Amino acid sequence: MNIIVCIKQVPDTADIKIDPVAKRLLREGIKSMINPFDMYAIEEGLRLKEKLGGKVTALTMGPPQAESALREAVSLGCDEAILISDGAFTGSDTLATSYALSCAIKKIKDYDMIFCGKQSLDGDTAHVGPGIAGHLNIPQIVNVRKIQDIKEGRVTAHRMTEYGYDVLEAELPCLLTVVKDINVPRLPSLKGKMKAKSTAITVWKAADIQAEENRIGAKGSATEVWKVTTSPARPQGKIFEGEGAVDQLVLTLKGLMK
Amino acid sequence: MSNDNLIETDVLVIGAGPAGLAFSIHYANLIGKHNIPLKVMILEKAATAGNHTLSGAVMNLKTLGELLPEVDLKGIPSITEVKQEDILFLTKSNAFGLPYHPKVMSNKGNHILSLGAMVGWLGGLAEQKGVEIFAGVAGYELIFENGKLVGVFTGASGLDHEGKPMSNYQPPTEVRAKIVVLAEGARGHLTKQLIDKFNLTQDKNPQVYSLGVKEVWEVPEGSFAQGRIMHTLGFPLGADQFGGGFVYGLNKTQVVIGFCSGLDYSNPAFDPHRALQQYKQHPQIAEIIKNGKLIKYGAKNIPEGGLFSWPQLYHDNFMIIGDSAGFVAMPSLKGIHLSIKAAMTAAQAAFEAIKAQDTSKERLSLYEKLFKDTPEYSEMYAARNFRQCFTSNLYLGFLKYGINLITGGRGLSLNGKSRLEADYKHCRPALKGRQLSPMVFDNKTTFDKEADVFYSGTKHDEAQPCHILISSAQVCRDCIEKFEAPCQHFCPARVFELSPEAQGNPAKIILHPSNCIHCKTCDIKDPFQNVTWMPPYGADGPKYENM
Repeated sequence: MNIIVCIKQVPDTADIKIDPVAKRLLREGIKSMINPFDMYAIEEGLRLKEKLGGKVTALTMGPPQAESALREAVSLGCDEAILISDGAFTGSDTLATSYALSCAIKKIKDYDMIFCGKQSLDGDTAHVGPGIAGHLNIPQIVNVRKIQDIKEGRVTAHRMTEYGYDVLEAELPCLLTVVKDINVPRLPSLKGKMKAKSTAITVWKAADIQAEENRIGAKGSATEVWKVTTSPARPQGKIFEGEGAVDQLVLTLKGLMK
Repeated sequence: MSNDNLIETDVLVIGAGPAGLAFSIHYANLIGKHNIPLKVMILEKAATAGNHTLSGAVMNLKTLGELLPEVDLKGIPSITEVKQEDILFLTKSNAFGLPYHPKVMSNKGNHILSLGAMVGWLGGLAEQKGVEIFAGVAGYELIFENGKLVGVFTGASGLDHEGKPMSNYQPPTEVRAKIVVLAEGARGHLTKQLIDKFNLTQDKNPQVYSLGVKEVWEVPEGSFAQGRIMHTLGFPLGADQFGGGFVYGLNKTQVVIGFCSGLDYSNPAFDPHRALQQYKQHPQIAEIIKNGKLIKYGAKNIPEGGLFSWPQLYHDNFMIIGDSAGFVAMPSLKGIHLSIKAAMTAAQAAFEAIKAQDTSKERLSLYEKLFKDTPEYSEMYAARNFRQCFTSNLYLGFLKYGINLITGGRGLSLNGKSRLEADYKHCRPALKGRQLSPMVFDNKTTFDKEADVFYSGTKHDEAQPCHILISSAQVCRDCIEKFEAPCQHFCPARVFELSPEAQGNPAKIILHPSNCIHCKTCDIKDPFQNVTWMPPYGADGPKYENM
């Protein structure tokens, strides 16, 4: 079972800063981390490998510093790591990004499953996973909370819905995006961290993955950003204390329902 | 334990703080001149080197220059030279300049910096020299063989609250080393076990500590000059308590405000976090921050005992450096440069030992011998009885210190060594009259502990065994009875909450270990020594930036 896990490096801060002109996240000097949902994707990939054999390849697109996210993925147990990084990718929206990643996956060629987190912490679009499956023309199951079974070239998985879950079956190779309920991610071991230091990270440019020039970067993007703002801080909650707290709460809730 | 989980190295350093990094850099430099493979690795519990480092800090750069002769120290992030300094005595509403300014306290030529940022920078230099730093990994448990230390287990992860493995369990890694260097900072939990096992504090004074609680403020330009430092005595402490405040102008718009409280206080209701909040209400301080914004919070303990409180610094296969040993000279309120120098002499001793393939305590005793020949040792020697002067009364303390200065540091004790008592022994049973009145926090310039803890950036995986161990619930109840639970007050992060007696259930302590900012005051000050601080999962804990 050869597995590809697509990950994204996102800012590790509550204090997001936005470039008002380019309308993009300012990443310089900001600490970063692997998108939390992608940690579940990595974990699921590793558990499948431990059960069925094969290897797990971590893949990301980003600036050169995204290498640290890949090293973290290796420290958790991923066998290989590939970074696609090129100035030509700058300004890619989710369409162009999923296209570029699909080009890299075509180059990797030998894979049975692709895992993605259900969405990223910074963009929140949940487009890229399904986009990759679209570009590759393979089946996809999104918001997976459990893999029930993998046999005879087919996967059965539970797709989380608002009120329960659907049981879906798809042919391999297949792309799955996962939600938090699917597992509890591990922490890296010291041994894993040592391996991460010595593992070579493969870097591919746009030409290496034969990405068409007009389908990547701002040129290959179907959307244009008009305005970006950070969401306002949530106001402080209200605490009801002492005698009569319940009555007060009920009154307040009733007031809100009007 | 399968070999899969075994790592071997020559030198294992616990802690990538200033001491651990200085040790490793100097060791790498010495090895570099000889034909021995460099095998030194550092385990650091913070997510990155510097994330658990907190200090004032006003630093004397001399020994750092000796460690890094080829490096321009102007490259240290956010460093600024001391331009102006004041020592003030504060009453409740006034401030007086001290008439006499001892030369040893002068900070001329010293620099204000963020020690955390400096450690991050130093970590980069260490890695360039081939030192392997593994951040986010805590040394958890000592490994002994034939009664000698041979290595350290890292902590397991993926355990539930009861310590049982879950689906994401990762076993500990065994790290074996010829020499283990303890550079864990104040009250290191491994150092503490080694001190106990080998009786390393026999005939020594116990280590005593001050808890430094610190905030960084963003202020409008002109509120407090860059390069200005201010040290204060007095308010909010009475003359019966040791401690003081500090304000440093880190840059034009950032000012550091901190308050250090000696943990040898006797009122169980005393609260070091609250002392800082009161301190900020003093007109002298309130003026500086009135239009400012809190941006960072943290706390750390300072080992203040001086050289009579050092444990024996070495034993078979290990050495103790940095705050784990206690390289602090109290009159000048400095320790970083002393720790760096001591770490360099420890590196020399480690190098000779590895070269000779002999890591016995006889061989490693070179560390202390070398350090005793340095001017930094003389600095500590002159201050050897300083902290002992200030155990009862501030004014009496100055008198005693005056005698100390006249007698060359000897003081009035017969053998030239004044005694100290461990901090936890100083608690006096709760007296109703000494209860502190509740303080109102305005959330503009004063904050309660929960709000401040947010600004430490601390974070802990909730699914793990509690890392603060209470040995006996009965002792806990006795403590509530006798002292009204001092833990609820001394902890600067509200890890300990007293749940009052209700519906026939006795009062008890509730723990919030995920609030912890790793200062270890609980381990030090608990009057019954009923609390043991253990490291939580690697990378958990505060996220100090520029602290």
